[in-house]
Amino acid sequence: MDAPLELTGLSGFYNGQRVLGPLSFTVNPGERIALVGSSGAGKSTLIRLIHDRVNDTAALVPQELGLVNALPVFHNVYMARLDQHSALYNLATLIRPFRKDRAEVTGILERLSMGEKLWKPSASLSGGQRQRVAIARALYREADLLLADEPVSALDGPMANLVMTLLQERFSTFVVALHDVELALDHTTRIIGIRNGKIALDAPSRDLTPADIRPLYD
Amino acid sequence: MLRWPNVPMSHSRTARTSLMFVAVALACLAVSDIAITTSNPWKDLLQFFLGVVTPDFFSSEGLATALLRTVAFAFVGVTIGALSGFLLALVYRIRIVRTFCAFIRAIHELFWALIFLQFFGFHPLTGVLAIAIPYAGIFAKVYSEILDQVDPEPRNLLPVRTGVFSAFIYARIPDCWEQIRTYTSYRLECGLRSSAILGFVGLPTLGFYLESSFSQGFYSEAGAVLILFYVLIATIPLWVRPKLLPLYVIASPFFLGDGMPIIWGNVKRFFTEDIVPAPLRTGYGSEEFWPWITDLVVNQALPGIWNTLVLTQIALVATGLVTLLAFPLISRHFGNRVSRTGGHVLLVIARSTPEYILAYILLQLWGPSMLPAVVALALHNGGIIGHLIGRQTNGIRLRPDAPKGVLRYGYELIPRVYPSFLAFLFYRWEIIMRETAILGILGIYTLGFYVDSAIQNIQFDKAIILILITAMLNIGIDSLSRRIRSRLALQTMPTC
Amino acid sequence: MLKKIIGLATVAAATACFAFSAAAETFVFTAIPDQDETKLVERFGAVEEYLEEQLGVEVRYIPVKSYAAAVSAFRNNQVQLAWFGGLSGVQARRLVPGSEAIAQGVEDPDFQTFFIANHESGLERMAELTDELRGKTFTFGSKGSTSGRLMPEFYIREAFGEAPDEVFSRVGFSGNHTRTIRLVEAGTYDIGAVNYKVWESQVKENAVDTNKVQVIWETPYYADYQWTIRGDVDERFGDGFKERVTQALLNMDDPELLERFPRKGFIPASNEDYDAIEDTAESLGLVN
Repeated sequence: MDAPLELTGLSGFYNGQRVLGPLSFTVNPGERIALVGSSGAGKSTLIRLIHDRVNDTAALVPQELGLVNALPVFHNVYMARLDQHSALYNLATLIRPFRKDRAEVTGILERLSMGEKLWKPSASLSGGQRQRVAIARALYREADLLLADEPVSALDGPMANLVMTLLQERFSTFVVALHDVELALDHTTRIIGIRNGKIALDAPSRDLTPADIRPLYD
Repeated sequence: MLRWPNVPMSHSRTARTSLMFVAVALACLAVSDIAITTSNPWKDLLQFFLGVVTPDFFSSEGLATALLRTVAFAFVGVTIGALSGFLLALVYRIRIVRTFCAFIRAIHELFWALIFLQFFGFHPLTGVLAIAIPYAGIFAKVYSEILDQVDPEPRNLLPVRTGVFSAFIYARIPDCWEQIRTYTSYRLECGLRSSAILGFVGLPTLGFYLESSFSQGFYSEAGAVLILFYVLIATIPLWVRPKLLPLYVIASPFFLGDGMPIIWGNVKRFFTEDIVPAPLRTGYGSEEFWPWITDLVVNQALPGIWNTLVLTQIALVATGLVTLLAFPLISRHFGNRVSRTGGHVLLVIARSTPEYILAYILLQLWGPSMLPAVVALALHNGGIIGHLIGRQTNGIRLRPDAPKGVLRYGYELIPRVYPSFLAFLFYRWEIIMRETAILGILGIYTLGFYVDSAIQNIQFDKAIILILITAMLNIGIDSLSRRIRSRLALQTMPTC
Repeated sequence: MLKKIIGLATVAAATACFAFSAAAETFVFTAIPDQDETKLVERFGAVEEYLEEQLGVEVRYIPVKSYAAAVSAFRNNQVQLAWFGGLSGVQARRLVPGSEAIAQGVEDPDFQTFFIANHESGLERMAELTDELRGKTFTFGSKGSTSGRLMPEFYIREAFGEAPDEVFSRVGFSGNHTRTIRLVEAGTYDIGAVNYKVWESQVKENAVDTNKVQVIWETPYYADYQWTIRGDVDERFGDGFKERVTQALLNMDDPELLERFPRKGFIPASNEDYDAIEDTAESLGLVN
């Protein structure tokens, strides 16, 4: 991402009622932003709205993950690059993946400790494993901005840290909704706190302590 | 009629609807023609059962061929129907496509066969298209419903420039493939039934031999045909294997038989002359046309519609009764292992015998009236719904001190399964009507009788108009049924 | 596996092609299914052999399930010759210009329909149709039959001035003559209208219990069955083919073969022999 992303007038509606915004802020290249706030504050809505704005330039990990249950892990990850190949190539891959793609996807999965699950249908995976498949798909995607909604909620501490580190390595810029305050402070450069659909806090991570963020959850 | 421990609003609404349908059926019963006209129906029935238990498989060398043809027609017809239905499902959103599909599936396989017989004659295409066309309409509808239920999220997450085809095969198909597969193989069973009854209008399938031997009173031969048919249906899981399917699909077109060559001039003649109303064809114009169409409507269409509706309403409620009596036969909440096995056998026989064949048999045995048709429709459809409801009750866990017997039936199970029971029943309403119309070919005065008469008199113009009227009636009942189901918040999966 | 499929497909395709090309050269005939199928197959299987021998071309009989199917097959040129009833012959010849009635049974110019009644109906033999019949149940044969539908309906309307379903309490169509006899014998219907030839042969074969069912009325004579051939057979099978078919039919003298129709022999026929039938059919609205 080369230019600052100016987000203005973001508003979310539910049943005709405004539940979020209007709010505006700018995402600068190289910024890693955590969205924090109590559940229902509008973080997921905000992630969606940003995704609608930037669309194809961002990799998205939604809370529902959006996996195709009947397909194996490989294909769920591979789907992130369907646009890079012809229909025929994709069809062939569906039947029998090419070695090059297989190696690349395997590499990503191995870093997530999922290497051995390559051919397992995603329906047969646990919650944490499914979450890692969605993350692998985002890592595989040819995009330089990441939008993720609670991407590590089902992972244990060490794994969550590992994933956040991987994301940090892969994406210079990201906006991630996180409910884990410690994780947010450790892996981001900027914290935006949402409360009642408005920005209640916007500050560099290094200037904040967990205590500064806690009021958002009251 | 049925009382619940405490009756919430929604139940009283379903109860009111049920009672209304029962009342309508009773009224229909009062004006209907229900009778056993043979002087000794039980003797014939006994002879028939004796025939079934002493089947004669070797009376006709044609039987094995007929079996092969039945399978071949079913495979080719269902394959073409499924492929074209699938393509139609992709554009099912378009209104004209939906209307088109509703129209082609509203016309029964036998009517399609009778139409194609007039210009393709005894060419395999007649049988293939007779199955493929209405099935395409049904497949289109069900496939599109299945496709619509697929989670849209994976699709939304794809890179924007992903091609339509790639997106489809990755994000749509995989998650509904299993459902598509299950439904398609289920339809194959229906296709075998359809294929068999095409024999009744002269195609070389099992129905051909059944009709011949039955009408001559050769009950052992008829019994053999029936037994072959049941075995064919019951062993589907054994011989229809995913790995063998491609072989069947590729090979079956070659086992349709040769029939008679198609003469394309006949096709043109049928569409440009035969089905043009006689007064217009002969150039007399509108002053002759109005009396012609009035006569057709007053003397054939209206009585046909009336009888079709009367018979449908009686058969619908009778189906409900049979279902309520039949499902305990296979439910684990009643009886023991032995009785349930017996129940399964009974229900398998009831649901795999096409109602057309059942009605034909009963008509031979009891003489012509609406009774054989009602019994046939109720047994067949009741067998299907009873099986589904029985299976559903097997998933119900009752508290350990739940009452037994009649109380368990009335207070524990019925309240739980009643909504899906009604859902299935209303779903089959349209199917029952389509069958009711077709049973007219057997001599009951429903629309099929007048269609058949017109065809027998080589008056295809009249036949086509009557078939169109039948289709409209079906579409009407279908949309009425859908409205009732959505009003009562009933959901169901498709059955055939 | 794939090899197997391809192999099988090739064999099957070859067979199919062969079958189609063979069909184009074959002279095909059919007959109205007025009787039990077994009888029809016996009878026309023998005719098939006979004609093949006489004509020197491949001859094939195809059985059909209805009178209309026989007419349609003839009209569509899928069969070139047919053994029709009076009415079906008229229908067929109206639809196929140039087609001709070429031979009829010795008995066919003076054909009859018998009204038969179940003993329990209490009906006795009568000189003309009387009001005794009112309110009984009645079955025709096939909807497209001359002796089983057209003529009996004509005489019922003439006698009562009403349609059959107004005279009788229940009117059915049995499908064919053998079945009419069986249904009346079983009491499914009180009365039935049946081809007198079929009745006589069933009585002769003891296939019917005359204590249970008997003839109560006979129609006046009318012309019925005939062989009808398409006008374009000479173009297709060579000059004089129609004449040869006609001669072959007229020369049929094998008693066993004739017995199966059952006819004493065949005599020449012409389209005009059936003008009266055509008028009757028109008056009942059975032809356009």
